[in-house]
This record gives sequence, structure tokens and C-alpha cells, in this order.
Amino acid sequence: MSIDESAIKALPYPVSPADEAELAAFVGESHARATPMCIAGGGTRVQPGSVEAEHMVTTRNMSGIVTYEPGALTLIARAGTPLQEVEDVLAEEGQTLAFEPMDHREILGSIGTPTVGGMVSANVSGPRRIQAGACRDHLLGVRFVDGRGRTIKNGGRVMKNVTGLDLGKLLCGSYGTLGVLTEVALKTLPLAETEKSLRIAGVTPREALEVFVAALATSFEVSGAAFHAGTAWLRVEGFEAQVDYRVGRLKELLFDREIDVVAHAASRSVWRDLRNVKHLAASEHAIWRILVKPTDAPDVMEALDQLGGEASVDWGGGLVWFSGAAPSVAVRRAVGAGRAILLRCGSLPAADLFPAENSAVAQISAALRKTFDPAGIFNPGLMGN
Amino acid sequence: MPTIAMPEPDLGILARASQIIERLTAVVSAEAVISDPQETRAYECDALAAYRCPPLAVVLPRNTEEVSAAMKVCHEMGVPVIPRGAGTSLAGGALPTADSVVIGIMRLRDILEIDTANRFVRVQTGVTNLSVSAELEASGFFYAPDPSSQLACTIAGNIAMNSGGAHCLKYGVTTNNLMGLRMVMASGEVVDLGGPLLGSGGLDILGVLCGSEGQLGIVTEATLRILPKPEGARPILIGFDSAETAGECVARIIRSGLLPVAIEYMDDVCLRAVDAFANAGYPKCAAVLIVEVEGSEDEVLYQIERIRQVAEELKPVEFRTSRNADESLAIWKGRKSAFGAMGRLGDYLCLDGTVPVSKLPSTLKRIGELSKDYGLEVANVFHAGDGNMHPLILFNANAPGELERAEAFGADILRLCVDVGGCLTGEHGVGIEKRDLMTKQYSADDLAIQMEIKSVFDPDWLLNSTKVFPLEASKPYRDKAVRG
Amino acid sequence: MQTKFSEAQLADPATKRSNEILRSCVHCGFCTATCPTYKVLGDELDSPRGRIYLIKDMLENNRKPDEKTVMHIDRCLSCLSCMTTCPSGVHYMHLVDHARAYIERNYKRRWDERALRWLLSKILPYPDRFRFALLGAKLVRSFRKFVPDARLRAMLEMVPDRIPPASRNDRPQWFLAEGQRIKRVALLTGCAQRALNTDINDATIRLLRRHGCEVVIPEGIGCCGALTHHMGKTDDSHAMAAANIRAIVAELDGKGLDAVVINTSGCGTTVKDYAHMFRNDPLAANAGRVAALAKDISEMIADIGLRDASHAEPLRVAYHAACSLQHGQQIRSAPKDLLKAAGFQVVEPRDSHICCGSAGTYNLLQPAVSAELKTRKVATLEATQPQVISAGNIGCMMQIGSATGIPVVHTVELLDWATGGPMPQPLAEKPELSV
Repeated sequence: MSIDESAIKALPYPVSPADEAELAAFVGESHARATPMCIAGGGTRVQPGSVEAEHMVTTRNMSGIVTYEPGALTLIARAGTPLQEVEDVLAEEGQTLAFEPMDHREILGSIGTPTVGGMVSANVSGPRRIQAGACRDHLLGVRFVDGRGRTIKNGGRVMKNVTGLDLGKLLCGSYGTLGVLTEVALKTLPLAETEKSLRIAGVTPREALEVFVAALATSFEVSGAAFHAGTAWLRVEGFEAQVDYRVGRLKELLFDREIDVVAHAASRSVWRDLRNVKHLAASEHAIWRILVKPTDAPDVMEALDQLGGEASVDWGGGLVWFSGAAPSVAVRRAVGAGRAILLRCGSLPAADLFPAENSAVAQISAALRKTFDPAGIFNPGLMGN
Repeated sequence: MPTIAMPEPDLGILARASQIIERLTAVVSAEAVISDPQETRAYECDALAAYRCPPLAVVLPRNTEEVSAAMKVCHEMGVPVIPRGAGTSLAGGALPTADSVVIGIMRLRDILEIDTANRFVRVQTGVTNLSVSAELEASGFFYAPDPSSQLACTIAGNIAMNSGGAHCLKYGVTTNNLMGLRMVMASGEVVDLGGPLLGSGGLDILGVLCGSEGQLGIVTEATLRILPKPEGARPILIGFDSAETAGECVARIIRSGLLPVAIEYMDDVCLRAVDAFANAGYPKCAAVLIVEVEGSEDEVLYQIERIRQVAEELKPVEFRTSRNADESLAIWKGRKSAFGAMGRLGDYLCLDGTVPVSKLPSTLKRIGELSKDYGLEVANVFHAGDGNMHPLILFNANAPGELERAEAFGADILRLCVDVGGCLTGEHGVGIEKRDLMTKQYSADDLAIQMEIKSVFDPDWLLNSTKVFPLEASKPYRDKAVRG
Repeated sequence: MQTKFSEAQLADPATKRSNEILRSCVHCGFCTATCPTYKVLGDELDSPRGRIYLIKDMLENNRKPDEKTVMHIDRCLSCLSCMTTCPSGVHYMHLVDHARAYIERNYKRRWDERALRWLLSKILPYPDRFRFALLGAKLVRSFRKFVPDARLRAMLEMVPDRIPPASRNDRPQWFLAEGQRIKRVALLTGCAQRALNTDINDATIRLLRRHGCEVVIPEGIGCCGALTHHMGKTDDSHAMAAANIRAIVAELDGKGLDAVVINTSGCGTTVKDYAHMFRNDPLAANAGRVAALAKDISEMIADIGLRDASHAEPLRVAYHAACSLQHGQQIRSAPKDLLKAAGFQVVEPRDSHICCGSAGTYNLLQPAVSAELKTRKVATLEATQPQVISAGNIGCMMQIGSATGIPVVHTVELLDWATGGPMPQPLAEKPELSV
């Protein structure tokens, strides 16, 4: 196992429980003493200074795939299982995690090993989000330890489940503020036989959006729609003949554009880079992940352009990536009704990571957090606390 | 006597009935409040008709403001509220108590916004599931979740039960297609969550709302993800001479790397009832799978060929594709009407347990054995692709003791589902029907945290509080709640 | 659904039948979705499932009908859309008919309501009385805005501008087939229709003769009984139905009949149900024979096959499906197929399964709901931009015709025109439509 020690050692008193019971005991004690902790999987996404804690708790020792049933499209893994291990096992069976989780190491400059627990905690979802849904849509069940040290199970391992409240959704994307995940059950899907991408060069953000709107209104199941540096990309996946047919039809639809087709491995490489936002990795400034209404994307791009920096688009316009030196207030003003999440702080304060909620939602969020974690020991300071 | 108990009504509330009705009538129009005992009777149950209790009153508001106003009155007066959509729940999700006010949202039926460029539609939640897609017809888009009751059920009910449907194998269930909502809280406060964005950057409160069975709030508006309609679609009928072989075929299709849009299962008992209504000409054998594939003509043919290869290894007694659009319609009409059509054979209890697909053959076999033990016939019709079973236990409601026997049989099936790694309910919700079995699936702590979360949204436990959680487990929460 | 009838209650054949119907209902709620009154009013009490519940409670407890129960049952159109929708085959028609008869026997309506219903039952089924009433009403029509009662106002508003003189064709007689006779059929000439529009029967007779049918108007034939049946006045309706059964059987046992043709689908639904109406009556066997012979005109022509239909303009026709045809008799494609075969371009409105609000006397007794349904129906029909609207039921024609400038004709009038008959009168009045 290649979990990087440096990120963890950087914080005082790293704690890596061997199993759920040990973790529960530790959390129970921390609850009693109200000692806060920073929670990490492989430590690849933790922004220094974002959490004020005495300990860093990692789930890295709770690792391993518990069950994988390709015929039932389900995989259960302990939270500390390296994502790569999961992806390798799935690939052997011709399956994958369809939400295409990004690897943050390139843009964050971190060197740990991403874990499935971390992926779920941050609801990490890549370009295929527009077609297949986000990580939260593929999460079937969870086990976690809450702020009192109770071990909780929720959901299960089947595709459909409305047995009680869906706590998995709450945990997913809560960045460890509600509980420490110990096990996740995920839906797996068949890997597409092949893929091809349409490259449309020399377009403005507005033209790119027109392409996206047109392509995503077709039945060709476009599974990627991104824009960067004057080039718009569309991806189609499926079996060979199907992909060819769909590429042909999309070219007909976009007849007035100049289009190159990139196939197979080359296409995969393009989308891996887009997914990991490789083009912003070299930037020295803060990196923002901004959720917008797709048709607002061109205006947001323009407004961000005014601030100076570099921006790109994914999710058919629904996600804008931005790196620049502008202060948080200016960025959030520029994105209007969009929601800007600071992924890499750069020179900006860690307190700016998450956008503010409206008062009613903030109240509910705070009350939920208090319910899961009455003593406020999980990642204090993160997510508007 | 049916076996599921409901708490005794609060006599204090009953004593104040006339004041409650008077105050409700003051905030919504008089014709929107129903309190005549002859009339409230029509609201005494949903599609789980074995359990019935007329409410104190029924309120039918016309907009979010009226829902909020009615909720505020109930909140101030400490009156339990039962949210109701179209009343198609098979789990008793809309069953009232004698001391409760039913707030029905069936008059909130406006389509508020259709935005195909951003691929969403915003609706009032009293619209029926099918009418959302009907409104989108001209635009070439559709709303994907398709519960069998989609003709009648409302979006509000779909959100409450996180409804699925035949086609969610590919398109996901309600929670995967819900982007935002407007909700009236137990206090009467109106809250907006989510919207046209693909996420919020905050806690996924929307995620916990969906499937919360009216326990956390009354949803009055929803933003729904919409999808472009596929180029074409075609169902295939595959008949087998045994239930287990059909179950095996499902697992093999999934394993093959193909992902059909839907894989549905109907057995001979069910087919008999359904064909009398739909005239779809289903094969006459022990079990039939309806497998639907989508795409262009070539794509459809390619997938059908691949499925044929998988199926033929198992020697089906029949393998045929729908010949035309009318036949496809009839095939689906039959499947979607299956629960209702079973009424032709008698009374039934409809279960909703879900099992891992690989466990379908053994689970079907065990259900067959239990059926013999209990001496009650069972029909199976379900979403096989995702293991969501719907055993229908046939009984005679007018024969003393049969309902109780059917319920015991049903409980055994659900325990079986949990034992093989599944869950009590895939898409119908816990309601009252599976309430007391929750301890089979969840520990005391698992349930406690869910109830604590309910308290966050509904500190006084006014909303649908006698559902989902076993009464004994929820008693401390319900008792603690102040009753006006 | 569980029911609680005693053995004694079940000894009554009507109650026994209602029990069977209630037992087959599983309370699934599908019927609410296609119920016009539920769509308009949004209260489950005004949906089939709610009404079934009210009826169940009333019958089980031998309860005297209360005002609210009567109101919700009165609001039912009897469009039978719910029967098309119901997967478990609940025979709502027989249940609601039983409830209406029960209410008529056990409930005393307010004096004005009683008077109105009495008046309607004594006028509408009798063409001569109705024609006389129409002529009278036409005289006072201009004062209608001073009439305080919405129902009376609705009646005056329904009075057509043109009241045709009685047609000689409607008297008992027979017409020879043109060319070789292939069938001998009786024509039910109807009651209200004969006073409102004589063109329909004239066109029907021409169309049938042209298709090799000898047409008989039997001696003693009159109203089918539907109008009073739906008001719960079963004594009246059974008397009328019995008269018809005797008249038709006389013909049947005389020169013989291949069919009883009906061109008002509301009547067709009732005649086809004679077997059930008289199941406990000495007339049962004959009622069954008549019911088995009953055919809507569109069924009849579809059976024979449309001949030489090349004489009409290829107009854009919006086909309005009358509920009694599409739900009551489950005849959906025949009229459209015939119109298409006759060269017309056929379009259908959205929500074609929803009633126009006419529903026999409904538009007179429930003017508010009826008017709302009319507005919705006319809007969806007009959205199809037709040159003419066609329907198979006089009630629908009057209802829709009162709210649109687009000509409304009976389907047989178009088929008659296409096969060599005259252009329908409402079209001839629109010069822009003629050649």
C-alpha cells in the first residue's frame, strides 16, 4: 500500500484505527472530551489550515474490498481502500465507477493515495456526471461512526432502497463533518466497449455552450461536454458501431462547425486530463470549482475573465473551473447565482472554501451537524461552521 | 383484526376539533376544508385499503402559501399532519389517524417552467408523474422515473417515496432525477433547496428529503432533471418454464455487460390477470421477462441479438420482440397495470422487498415454498434488473383471519429479503406496512439517528409521525413533542 | 376491497351486483387520473375512487343519502372514462346506476331540484314536447340574463338558433336498400336528437341504404331510456326501454333484423346494457337479443366496408370522441378509420379521453363543471386547427357547437357526403369551405 505518510505526518498525532470498533472507541472518547479531529482518507484533498484540530484521523488502515458482485453491479469496500485498487478490480470484470471520480493530486499538488472513503466524503464526480450522475447517485449504502462514537449502518447493497431516511446522501459530500465513513457500497456499471470524441476547435465559450445545448438535447447519450482554451469536446461511448453512428449523427447536427474525431486511447487520455483539470495544475493561484446553470456559463466566463486568470468548462456548461488571483468576494460576485467552491486555497484564506447558504438552509445544516456531531469534533471550521 | 397497530388518538385534539377546523377554514377557503364525517371517509386510506381511519379534517390548498398557512395552524395547535399526494401508496404512507389533518396537494398542478437548454422542468408537486412527460412531449424530452402508478401518482408522492419504476435500471430513481424543491416545514416556514445547478456545495439536504415519506416536510414545488427521448425503444418478451431460470437469465444479462433500460418479470398467475386487461399476447408459461432496449434501429437490433445469445443458453420457451408500436404499448400497459389488474383475481398484499440480483432465483424458490406452507397463492411481478421484487399475496379480505395470515406470510418474505442481503422496501416506502420490521434491518442506533434527524426538521413530530419508525422506538420522540 | 354486506342485503340482486363490483376494486387510484371532475375540482370525493367509497358506505349501512353524498354523485358525468382506465375491471357504470336509483328512492331533493328533474324527464325523451319547449324557450331566450337559476340559464343558452321542423323520416316506416340488399336493420331514431337535428337521421338512412341496408323505423320505438336512467328514475327508464324491446322484437320476429343501428352513442351504451337492466325481469331473454343486435352506426359501416367514398372535399377534421362511444362502448378507431377512408385528414385533440361536459342532462344540471369542461375541450379542439369538428353523439355536438365558430357535424354526415350525399348543412353555410 502506498499511502503517503508526509501529508498525514504534517499534522500532529496522526491516528489510524485498525478497524471500525477502534475508530468508534476513539471517536467516543474524543466526543466525551470534546477534542476535535481532522478526518482524512489518504489525505489527498485536505487543504492545510482548513480544519482546526488536535488529531488527524485517517481511515487508511481500514482497507479492502468486502464484496464485489459483478452480476449484481455492486461493490462494497472499506473506506480506506485505495480508489485505484477498486478501479483495477472493476476493470478486470469490464466494469467501472461510472461517475468517473477525478484525481485531485495534480491540481492540489498532494501526493497521498485517494481512497473510496475520501471520494464519497467529497462526492467526487467527473465529466460523466452529466450523463451517469454524481458519486452520490451511485452510493448504495454506508457504514460510519457518528460524533458520539456510535457505529451506524444506512442503506444497503441493492439498487433500490427506501428503507428509512437516506443518510448516505447526507454523508456524501459532507467532507467528514457528519461522520467518519468506514464502509461504502457502490453501484458499478459496465465499462463502455469504446469511445470517441469530437473536437471542435476555435470556438468561444458562447459557441461552445450552443454546441453543448444542441448535443445534449439529442438521444446520443453524450457522456462528456467540456471546453478549454478555445476547444469544445464532446464524448460518445458505447459499442463500436453505436459510437460511429452517434459520432456521425452529431457531426450532421453540428454541420457548420469544423470537427476532428479523436478515438479510443487518445480520447481516454483527453478526458483523463479534462477530468483532472490538468490545465490548471501549473497555476500558482487559487483554484475554484463553480457550479452554474449551464446557459449562464458564458456570462460567468466573461465575468471571470475580467478578474484575470484562466477558466474552463465541464458538465456541458454546468461546471466552471477557474484559477486566478482575485479575492473570494470578487469571484463569488462574478459567478452570480452560481456556487463557487474553493478547491485549492492558494493565497486565499481556508475559511473561504465553501459558499454561504441562505439562512434557512444554513440553519438546517447547522442543526443536522449538531445532531450527527453534538460536541463539534469533526472537521471544525470546515463547511460554514 | 389486522396486525399493525396505530396509537390511540389524542383526545385533547379531538376535543378541539371544531376550533381546529374553524382556524383552518379561516386561512384557506371554506371549500378547501373537508370535515363532514361522510366526506372525510373517502380519505381514510390509500392503496393499502386494509388499514383505514378517517382523519379529523382534510385540507386541499391551492398553492404553497395555503399549504404553509394550514401547516402553521396545525403547528400552533399541535395537530398531527398527514401529507397526501394521489393516495396511491401501497404501504399506507397516507393513512390518517383520527386526530390528524390530511393536507392534500392534488390541487397544486401547474407546470411552472420548462427549460430544455438547461435540461430541467419546474412543477408544482400535485402534477401527476405522467403529465410531466406529457407536457414535455413537444420538446423531445421526458421525465425518466416511471412508477407503475405514473398515470395517477403525484410528483410529491414520488419524492416522498423516492419512487422508481421499470426504467430506472438505466435512468435511476427519483433521487437521481430531482434537482431542487420548495418545501413547507413543520413550522409552516417555506424553504428552497437546490435548483438548476448540479449540486450545492453544501450538505445534500435534498438527498435526505427524497424518500423521507412525508416525515420532514411537505414538498410543493420541484425542479426535475429531464432527458432527451431515445431514438427508439423495443421490448422483448422471453418466456421460461421455471421462475428460477428466468431469475438466472436476469443475472446473466446484467453480467454480460449489456445494460437494458428495463428488465421486468411477471409470472403465470400475474400474466393471467394482466392479459385480461391489456390483451398484450404475453407468452403462456411459468415466467416471462420483458427486456427493453433503446436506440436507433441498428442499435436496437444489435442489443436484441446479444440478449438472444445470453437467453438461448437457458432454453427459453419463447423469445420474441415486439412487432410494432401498438404491441409495445400493450406490453407496457399490461406490466404497468399489473397491480390493479390483480384485483380481478381477488384481494392482495403487495410487497416491495429488494434482493441482490444474484439472489433472485433462490429467493423466488423460497417464496414458492412459503406459499405452500401458508396455503396462500402468490403472484410475482417485479423489476428484475435491480432485484426489486413485488410478490403479491392473494387472499380473501372478507374471510376472517386471511389478512392476518397474508401479513405473516409477507413479513416472512421481507425477512428473507433482508437475510439474503436486500432490504425491506425498494420503492414503495416503509409506511405502516413495514414499520415494525425496521428492527430486522436496522439496529437501535441506526434508527435513533434517523429519528434524531426527523426531530431537526419536525421537532414536535407532527408530520406523518406514526409511520416508518416502529412505534415503540419512536414513542420517546413522540411523547417528548409538545402537543398544544 | 373488503365489504360488509349482510346475507339479507345480498339477497337483493342490485346489492349483490354492487358487492361484486366493490370487491373487485383494489383502491389503486388509477381512475382518479382520467376523471374529468377530479381534474376540474381536485377533490377525491369528486373522483371515481371517492364516489365508490361514498356509495359503498351508503349501501353497506343502508344509509339514507345525505346532501354531500348526493352532491358528489350528482357531479359524476357517467362518462365512464374510469372504466377504460381501471385495470381490475370495476364496473363503475352499474355501481353508479345503482347508487342513482338508490338516491332517487331514498333522498328527497329540494323542491326546485325536483321540479327541474321532473320537467326534464317529462320533456326531453319526447320529441314533440321537446320541440315545443324549444320553440317556447327560443321566445324567452333574450331575457335569459334575468333568470336567477344557473341551471335554467344554461338550458336557455343551449337552445339552438335553428329548430328544425319534424322530419318525416323519423316516423315508423321502412326504406329499401339501394342495389342488392345485404342487411335489414332497425334504426333507433332517438328522442332529443329528433327535435334538435333531423339531418343526422336523414344522413344515416341515406348512408345505410347506399351500403345495401334496408332500414326500418319500427312502430312504437322511442327514447332508449338513458336520459331518465341517469337521473335514477328507473321506473321511467325501464318503461321506455321495455317499449323499445317490444318494438324491436316484433320486427325481429317478423321480417327479421340483422342489427339495431344507433347513431347517438349515449343511447347505444344504454341499449347495449339492456341485458343487464332486465336481467331479473321476464323480458330478460328479449332484452338480451336486442342488446346483442345493437350497433353504433360507425361499427355497422365498418363491418360492411365503406363504399365509393370519393365525393367529399379532403377537409381537416378534428374527431371528438364521445365518451359513450370511446368508454361506454369501447369504440375508438372505427369512426376515425372511416373518416380517413373517406379521404378526410383526421386530427385528434389532446386529452381526447376527457369528456366535453355534455353528458346527457349534465350540462343542464351541473352548469359550472360542464362549462369548465366545455372550455377545455373547445380549446384543445381548436388547437388542432380543424376545418370541421366531427362527433358521434348529438349531446357533444350541441355542447361543443355552442362555444366554437368551427362547424360541428355528426360523423355520419361526413360519411354520407363522402359517399354521394349532400354536403352537411353547417359546412354549406361556410362558403370558404365549399369548392
